[in-house]
Amino acid sequence: MAGPQINRLDGAGLIDREKTVSFRFDGADLTGHPGDTLASALLANGIRLVGRSFKYHRPRGILTAGSEEPNALVELRTDARREPNTRATTVELYDGLDAASQNRWPSLKYDLLSLNQLASPIFGAGFYYKTFMWPAAFWEKLYEPMIRRAAGLGHPSKLPDPDHYEKTNAFCDVLVIGAGAAGLSAALSSAKTGARVILCDEDFRLGGRLLAEQGDVDGESASDWARAAEAELESLADCRILRRTTVFGVYDGGTYAAIERVNDHVPVPPAHEPRQRLWRIVAKQSVLCAGAFERPLLFGDNDRPGVMLAGAVRAYVNRFGVAPGRSAVVFADNDDSFATAADLNEAGIEVKAVVDPRRTPSSTAKDIAEAAGVPYISGNITRVRGAHGITAVEARAADGTTKGFDCDVLAMSGGWSPALNLTTHLGGKPVWDHTRSCLLAGDMPPGMQVAGAAAGLASVQDCLASGEAAGADAAKSCGFEPPKLRHRAPSGEPVPATPVWQVEGGRGKAFVDFQNDVAVSDVKLAAREGFHVPEHVKRYTTLGMATDQGKTSNLNGAAVLAGSTGQYVGAVGSTTFRPPFSPVAIGALAGHHRGKAFRATRLAASHRWAEERGAVFVEVGAWMRALMFPKPGESPQETINREVANTRKNVGVCDVSTLGKIDVQGADAGTFLDRVYINGFSKLAVGKARYGLMLREDGFAMDDGTTARFADDHFYMTTTTANAVKVSQHLEFCQQVLWPELDVQTVSVTEQWAQYAVAGPNSRKVIEALLDPGQDLFNDAFPYMACGTFTICGGVSARVFRLSFSGELAYEIAVPARLGDALIRAIMEAGEAHGIAPYGTDALGVMRIEKGHAAGPELNGQTTAHDLGLGRMMSKKKDFIGRHMGERDALNEAVRAALVGLKPLDPAEPVRAGAHLVPKGADVVPENDQGYVTSMAYSPELETFVALAMLEDGPARCGEVVMVCDLLRGGETLAEVCSPHFVDPEGARLRV
Amino acid sequence: MSKLETRSAFHDVAAPGRYGRPDGDAGVIVSECEGLGLVTLEGRKGAQARLLKAIQNAYGVEAPDGPTVASGRDVRFIGMGPGQWLAVSETMQNEALTDDLVGKLEGLASIVDQSSGRATLRIEGPNARDCLAKGFAIDLDPRVFPDGSAATGAISLMGALVWRDGEAYDVVVFRSVAASFWHWLEASAAEYGCEIVTTS
Repeated sequence: MAGPQINRLDGAGLIDREKTVSFRFDGADLTGHPGDTLASALLANGIRLVGRSFKYHRPRGILTAGSEEPNALVELRTDARREPNTRATTVELYDGLDAASQNRWPSLKYDLLSLNQLASPIFGAGFYYKTFMWPAAFWEKLYEPMIRRAAGLGHPSKLPDPDHYEKTNAFCDVLVIGAGAAGLSAALSSAKTGARVILCDEDFRLGGRLLAEQGDVDGESASDWARAAEAELESLADCRILRRTTVFGVYDGGTYAAIERVNDHVPVPPAHEPRQRLWRIVAKQSVLCAGAFERPLLFGDNDRPGVMLAGAVRAYVNRFGVAPGRSAVVFADNDDSFATAADLNEAGIEVKAVVDPRRTPSSTAKDIAEAAGVPYISGNITRVRGAHGITAVEARAADGTTKGFDCDVLAMSGGWSPALNLTTHLGGKPVWDHTRSCLLAGDMPPGMQVAGAAAGLASVQDCLASGEAAGADAAKSCGFEPPKLRHRAPSGEPVPATPVWQVEGGRGKAFVDFQNDVAVSDVKLAAREGFHVPEHVKRYTTLGMATDQGKTSNLNGAAVLAGSTGQYVGAVGSTTFRPPFSPVAIGALAGHHRGKAFRATRLAASHRWAEERGAVFVEVGAWMRALMFPKPGESPQETINREVANTRKNVGVCDVSTLGKIDVQGADAGTFLDRVYINGFSKLAVGKARYGLMLREDGFAMDDGTTARFADDHFYMTTTTANAVKVSQHLEFCQQVLWPELDVQTVSVTEQWAQYAVAGPNSRKVIEALLDPGQDLFNDAFPYMACGTFTICGGVSARVFRLSFSGELAYEIAVPARLGDALIRAIMEAGEAHGIAPYGTDALGVMRIEKGHAAGPELNGQTTAHDLGLGRMMSKKKDFIGRHMGERDALNEAVRAALVGLKPLDPAEPVRAGAHLVPKGADVVPENDQGYVTSMAYSPELETFVALAMLEDGPARCGEVVMVCDLLRGGETLAEVCSPHFVDPEGARLRV
Repeated sequence: MSKLETRSAFHDVAAPGRYGRPDGDAGVIVSECEGLGLVTLEGRKGAQARLLKAIQNAYGVEAPDGPTVASGRDVRFIGMGPGQWLAVSETMQNEALTDDLVGKLEGLASIVDQSSGRATLRIEGPNARDCLAKGFAIDLDPRVFPDGSAATGAISLMGALVWRDGEAYDVVVFRSVAASFWHWLEASAAEYGCEIVTTS
């Protein structure tokens, strides 16, 4: 039935009539023009029915012409870019646009779920709190799935988003939010001072309501004035204009968030451009010129397609050159809105009547009506006919007579509410203005001013003046010389508004919140049930909780509440707004950080070499570490067994660069380390390294590592990979806060050094092969725990440490990371003759478990030095962090879980990490829980599974058999408690 | 001659050429500053005055008190914190800078080589600032970030030090995140057209 743009008006509008744009809606092919929104193009094609309401599936049409639209939510695009709940009023029309209505089945016209309406008496506010309560068991299986299917609007795509998004930072002196009359003026006056200005507007054209209204500004048409202002701003180098950009949040420190829809208006973003861009703007001052939202009037069936806000009707006529209908009635409680009749007349749309519900008829309104040749009725609209789109209305005059008017559009206005949302983002509460009968901004975020309609001003001249003054003031606050103001300050006291909050005498549901289907009756019900403040009424009725956040309903709802509770509307208060002002795509918040780029990946110097060798990698924090180096056809267990066996028999090499490395220098470096570690370091000889354990202040083990001494005032500390950053920060805290009197300096050198462990009986031979001539690595020259600087490979300075995590004869060799790739290859080459093979972190883990070395799973934040069997390391000669709190009785009880080894009675049975321990034969209940398994491995050397565990009074129970219960994966095993040092417990291999 | 060869942190990710928008002049030009001598210096207790004097004598420059770059003979000093500096040299490459500083400042400061631990890129071109703004939350506008300014922050969640040298910005990140940083840089510079030049 919709034809080619049957409602397009000749001549008028800021659209490009030279070009035609093709688009689809619900499968129908339609046309529009560049400059249209989807909503204006639909109206141009005579399409009024665009959706079905959330709860009752009532037919709905386009209510507004802006981002506050509650009804016309469409699904935009298809496939991977499908976007539900998009407001047709803000969608910029483009060639090939494909949109569909939502929340209806099987079609928009014939929606079966509209039968909901018959049940509307039980679907009133709060029905979910009263129904679906019994029987309780039905909730999970029946009610919740039912509600879930019925809930929500639209269907998102489940395919990965093919577009990319970006985030960026910007700084300015003055941020102007909104580019209508006030915003353009504010931007001009501030930018002309030389201040850095950023001007944002959510629309694709600047001008705000200047584009929607007739009338002159400074001698030219409103839209021409806007165009000229824009051109002037473009010419100013330090003024940045962001179109299609919504400032959606205000945060601390003058920080604002904005979303720029860079390429929402094209089918596919051009190469190298993002779809949307998130701006983080830091502004010294800001001017909020966000305009105002028009309020609907509350009367029966006010939600029918064709009932539109009067300001929107003017926008469609004046800006888009579209007739929202061919025959109109205007129903408004404020004089300004009656100008709609004149605009409609001029466009050739028949105005049947203007209806004024105010108790006292307005002479201004009467004059406007007369000038337009239209009957003026002081009275109410009592009936709206036409469920799928209005066909007629009935109006009852003050004298009781009723008259019917055939019409296809009803332009209504209940007044304007300043768009002060952003002013409450930091907790400020709006204040009631008695004269204007609306809420105005109260406490403002620091640095923010409000201007124009957002400050409650109505006339264009007042908005220009207030914007200009605010912009000048903002620039002045930033230290710029303010310009001479061109516009007179806003005129005196405004004319008192006399809003008609509820229209009496009608039939049918009067909707307040259109998107969530909340009617006047629902608010009254909430009041009857004892909800008397807006915050409660909001949650109980869901008024204001939809994607439009109540922009067209909040104050109306408060007024109904006031009426129901006998309060003055200004005393009821309002809810507070939080970011975002309008919906923001999650993709934009993520920006570049998607998939693997969620955070940075850290790669060691040997990474490429390991890839070439077919390594399988594991994430350890941000690092990628080689887990193992499988050969073709090997199972993972076979790989690990091979790597372990080869290291213990010949020689293996493992990259240990990721472990934290901290350079500690200064005259008091030794003293510093004494205080940080439980054991002593100030007396460690130069050229030696020592294992150290450090505690938290509360006495629990924090981290361990080996620290080497290169000179009296120079140490080199290592930490675990996972705690590298934490320990660095800890040391900084100790230096700066705890002992600022010490002469000690620390800095992380984790990145500076590539470090490799070369371990196994042949390890010395491999290191010797790298050394330049004349250097000695014999056992007595370089004993266990020695360290030193050598030259290798023709003059490269390298640090060599004789340390062993594996328990074999072993060395660690470190060079500056730029040589790390070359060194690993040189090590492999030198080791070829000695049976070298690389090993990864899995094999590393097996070997340290075989040796009973505590690592991450044992340093779990719940274990003390005593628990780990390292109590004797705690020095009695010096104080150290954690000593005092570590002396608490509870941390020294014998029954505490302490480190032991476990061997399953059946060597082929794994003893799983995380399993809990109960005495053999005891019930598997919490009362019998005596500990847990921390680490587990298969030992190729001993040909059995082994484990490390924390067991109550463990060390005293060697030989006892306990039951290992895996409650997560199921299963129980018997295991014998033993020493955690399974392989070479005497440590003989370390000292050869 | 050493049998061990240096490998750039960007070895696997960057090749010279034009990336992103292909037409027009490149808005962002990137080159690697390979082999820079980079050293962290922290003054020893009670030696601050003597340290500053020694730096003045050895390099002809006053070590800065704040996040700025002071350029001396062959070495730049960048303020990193109270009594802390990063020394940078193009002529004394890698460990050579450490050796020189140790020779001239021994006992007055803790001197630690970081030449291998960092990757440094020089970013210039008409859109250099626009590109950096996509990750760096510090105001780089010339009126508040004049030549010689420096700032430590994060770029795309990676720690970064940025200093301004004329119309170019040098960006220093951890060596291990070079590939991730490169990935971000390419994506951010793409819309302006990015020209990769290498120094080596």
